[in-house]
Amino acid sequence: MRLIIDRYAYLDSLIHRWQQKYKLVGLISLIFAFSFVQKITLLPVIVVITTVIFCLSNLPLSFLLSRLRYPGWFILAVVILLPFVAGDTIIFQWGWLTLKEEGCWTSILISVRFFCILTISLVLFGTAPFLTSIKAMRSLGLPQVIVDMTLLAYRYLEELGNMLTTMQRAIRLRGFRYQQFSRRNLKILAQLTGSLLVRSYERSNKVYQAMILRGYGYKIPQIDRQQKNRLSQLDKLNFLATSATVIIAISLTIAEILLPAN
Amino acid sequence: MKELTRSSRLIKLQTPAVTISNLGFAYTESKNTLTDINLQISAGESVGLIGANGAGKTTLFLTICGILTPTYGEIKLFEKLVQPGIFNPDIGLVFQNPDDQLLCPRVRDDIAFGPENMGLSAEEVDKRVCVALSFTGISHLIDRVPHHLSGGEKCMVAIASVLAMLPQIILYDEPSANLDLRARRRLIKFLQTAPETTIISSHDLEMLLEVCDRVILLNQGRIVADGIPQNIMSDRILMEANGLEVPHSLTHHH
Repeated sequence: MRLIIDRYAYLDSLIHRWQQKYKLVGLISLIFAFSFVQKITLLPVIVVITTVIFCLSNLPLSFLLSRLRYPGWFILAVVILLPFVAGDTIIFQWGWLTLKEEGCWTSILISVRFFCILTISLVLFGTAPFLTSIKAMRSLGLPQVIVDMTLLAYRYLEELGNMLTTMQRAIRLRGFRYQQFSRRNLKILAQLTGSLLVRSYERSNKVYQAMILRGYGYKIPQIDRQQKNRLSQLDKLNFLATSATVIIAISLTIAEILLPAN
Repeated sequence: MKELTRSSRLIKLQTPAVTISNLGFAYTESKNTLTDINLQISAGESVGLIGANGAGKTTLFLTICGILTPTYGEIKLFEKLVQPGIFNPDIGLVFQNPDDQLLCPRVRDDIAFGPENMGLSAEEVDKRVCVALSFTGISHLIDRVPHHLSGGEKCMVAIASVLAMLPQIILYDEPSANLDLRARRRLIKFLQTAPETTIISSHDLEMLLEVCDRVILLNQGRIVADGIPQNIMSDRILMEANGLEVPHSLTHHH
């Protein structure tokens, strides 16, 4: 039995074997390069890169589709109007409704970039246990406060859900009905939220104390760090994979600068 | 096993593991939660800490392990002064609610959390995880999600996560709370053979009678009695004056 968030973190694939620290550097640089793409001619390239990386990760397509569903609705809501309002070149006109070329291309550009970035992010965080990602971020110099907050937030996502379910059951069993919209009900819901926040704060505080007692944030002795810094064969392979990804990212950015405008 | 543990304890008993001198702590300025605590616990000793709710048991634990800063007085662990906020792998605290302690997605990760923070090599971390799991009898839980386990299993994982750091002193805060009879019995057997210096805070007086060599009674932040568990717990007047009851096994039926 594993956490839902880590369901596919223990598969065996090239991407899974890529150390999370290096994977973070490689794939995040790719994400940045994707976000800079403005030329339509580069869109097939980023789609191919994304497809190759996704296929190499061995993640099931259902995993990707289920996670793209809600962001998909969001992006649809954002880009649906663009073909009708942005640009000057009219492709089709029906009464007051005009379909414009520039708007269509912008919609395609935004959607493709969005889905490629999201897919790469899912591969990045779906192919390693969450805790490994946190440790990798920490080793790359992410500020301690952010690491602590992420770890504690993750720890209590499920806990908060359970706490909320229990509290909801408790108030329902004492006759509370959500359907009735009244000032009293709003007050009770506000109290429920407040109570949940206070409880989760207290719980987080205790977890933090437990973490400190087990050496969280304690500086690792220098000797061990030196041992860890020695590059093994595996590290070299990871380094190569990361370098290749970073080179692709830089090439995309250079192509974006050098290619003629759309 | 138990005989061996007890004899090794007797050798250790000459060294003070915990020395508390004139300790006081207050959450607010108006009222002290702990007042003038003086205490010495020898290495290898198993000490029970009893008292009614709000007596200051958990506060004393948090002060001993350096989470809370004493208002006055000092605490020494193996002759070294406790510096609040500084990590000390020699002391471990098992929290009353295991959910407060377990934070990782897998039991293995949770037990490895402490040793990894200590900067140990991957091999040493793995070794400690395996030893802690086998010592607590939960090797089969290694790949499970901690917060999906039963209360008894969570309790043993919490203990294993502390044991993996090889502390010399372990503080147990209400370890038998919320355990069923079988899990409680398993915990008692485990505590009876534990070689570390242990301080157990509990309302489960029967368990303390089976596990501890000595008991300390706290009331309103002060030590009221300190001695042999049977002597203290059978004193009805003392127990009732401090909000407790004589445990059933010490009640004489006529």
